[in-house]
Amino acid sequence: MRSMWTARLAWLLAIPLLAVLPLALDGYQIYIVTLVLVNVVVAVGLNLLTGNAGQISLCHASFMAIGAYTTTLLMTNLGVPFLVALPTGGVAAAVLGGVLALAAIRLSGFYLALATLGFLEVTQIAIEEFGWLTGGVRGLMAPRPTIVGGIDLGSDLHLYYAVLIVTLFLVWVAYNLLESPVGRAFNAVRVSAAAVQTLGVSPARTKLTAFALAAFYAGIGGGLAGILAGFIDPTEYGTAATLRHITFIVLGGIGSLVGSIVGATVLTLLPEVLRGAAEYGDLFYAALLLGSLILMPKGLVGLVSHWTRRGPVLSEDVTPAQDREPAR
Amino acid sequence: MSFDIVVQLLFSGLSVGSIYALVALSLVIPFKASGILNFGQGEMLLLGAYVALALSLAGLPYWLVMVLTLLISAALGAVIERVLMRPLVNAPEFTIVIGTYAIGLIIKYAMRLYWQDDVYRLPVPFSSQPWVIGTLRINPVYAWMLVVALLITAALALFFQRSRLGKAMRAVSQNQQASRLMGIGVERIFSATFALSTALGALVGILFAPVAGIHPELGNVILKAFVAAVIGGFTSLPGAVVGGLLLGVVETFAGAFFGSTLRNVVAFAILILILLVRPNGLFGTIESRRV
Repeated sequence: MRSMWTARLAWLLAIPLLAVLPLALDGYQIYIVTLVLVNVVVAVGLNLLTGNAGQISLCHASFMAIGAYTTTLLMTNLGVPFLVALPTGGVAAAVLGGVLALAAIRLSGFYLALATLGFLEVTQIAIEEFGWLTGGVRGLMAPRPTIVGGIDLGSDLHLYYAVLIVTLFLVWVAYNLLESPVGRAFNAVRVSAAAVQTLGVSPARTKLTAFALAAFYAGIGGGLAGILAGFIDPTEYGTAATLRHITFIVLGGIGSLVGSIVGATVLTLLPEVLRGAAEYGDLFYAALLLGSLILMPKGLVGLVSHWTRRGPVLSEDVTPAQDREPAR
Repeated sequence: MSFDIVVQLLFSGLSVGSIYALVALSLVIPFKASGILNFGQGEMLLLGAYVALALSLAGLPYWLVMVLTLLISAALGAVIERVLMRPLVNAPEFTIVIGTYAIGLIIKYAMRLYWQDDVYRLPVPFSSQPWVIGTLRINPVYAWMLVVALLITAALALFFQRSRLGKAMRAVSQNQQASRLMGIGVERIFSATFALSTALGALVGILFAPVAGIHPELGNVILKAFVAAVIGGFTSLPGAVVGGLLLGVVETFAGAFFGSTLRNVVAFAILILILLVRPNGLFGTIESRRV
């Protein structure tokens, strides 16, 4: 019960704070904070899939790209309003996530990593090959829309509030989902798919749900990222982006909703702080990923809960060693 | 379709495939021993290519560059294994995938800091004028790739069959505990397999550089090697070689007849198909799993 009250208190404090925050910031800072919110959505989605359901995915960036292109193309080519185009982008990503999951359900570990890596490459090739639609390697302009009531999202401030509402809603959904039977099934499948099956929960359907859900979050994140930047650059959705998303959840805390938020926030703000050493940025990022993976497997959130001597974030390790297939 | 064209395509397919085969071998050898699938192996290859480049720019002749690069890379591979990979042995698969990926990125970005995004050429000791045999045109650089790859594969086969170290590696890959009881230093074998695999990667770097150039994205060839290894079943060395050659040939023919789009996609289509239909590859052994 305590955790529920802590969560309510956190919401109560966070919402007014986030509402007044941009009033103290200039245009570029508002842009960065909006980017933080978008990355939170992306990270929350990936963490549900990888952290909770235990499925490695190296193609989260592909789903982001699918969402970004779908949302933007629907708006610019067909004149679909933003409020319809954005969820459609998310659904399109979720459908493809489901299709990938149908293929990936039988795979785990290294093989799943390879299959998702293959999916990432195929998406990149598809973006290039369908250049007449996607703009190919040159990228695609993503103009900012006007939404109902004549609110112009061209204004950084308006866009911030729009993204804030979407982000808060999706975080709230994820929070409740994790407390629901669906979320418990995610965690159970990670710990032991076989045990879950004996309890009458289908691991296959659970994995499929997790893939589709993660892809939906990434698709929404992609749609928002596109209009935020005003431009879709296909190279932003490749291996580097995938690794960035994984770093969000590894540094923040794998399997923890708070971890996703912390990781995405810290790692989006970090490059702004380190602006002076930009050329070392990539190197630093990779070293940070490796370091947190080895030195703090439960991320920043795990570190804090260890210090405050509260209960562990995760009940058990991501994959128990005896559950793994030996290499032969 | 004339016979000449088929032979010509077969030759270039096998040459490119021999590169895939060697990289696939460099993945499978340490994987079998330590259970670590190195998602950063492409960057080990990159490391070797830059070592060769540095030596070559220092004015050393090709043969000396080759020998020194292999030795230096083997040493670097052993060091990287000891310092960075060893903490990952017995870690969850997620940690291994992401950890090795991160190690690869660290190598790549470190190389990029110094060499930038420029494309360098490694000089070869022979003319790149094609030999013309009848209607067949053979590029000596490609022929050299193929010949060296075949020689190395044969040498490796001999090494694993005959030598003490090779036998020890096979023993460790079969059963670590039993190997330890037989007096094999399992950790030493881990180091040795990574040293061997990094040297193999470096060799590929040297062979492949005249064709692809040396640049920070050179390691992307690893994707093709993954596919080759999957075709071969991931735990079979002959499988990795056959998988690599097969992929090279299929890719070349697909590119020649259906254009570059299909050439790019075919590898991943094969990957997903095999993972679905026959996850143990064409040569892999089927593992049963106890719950």
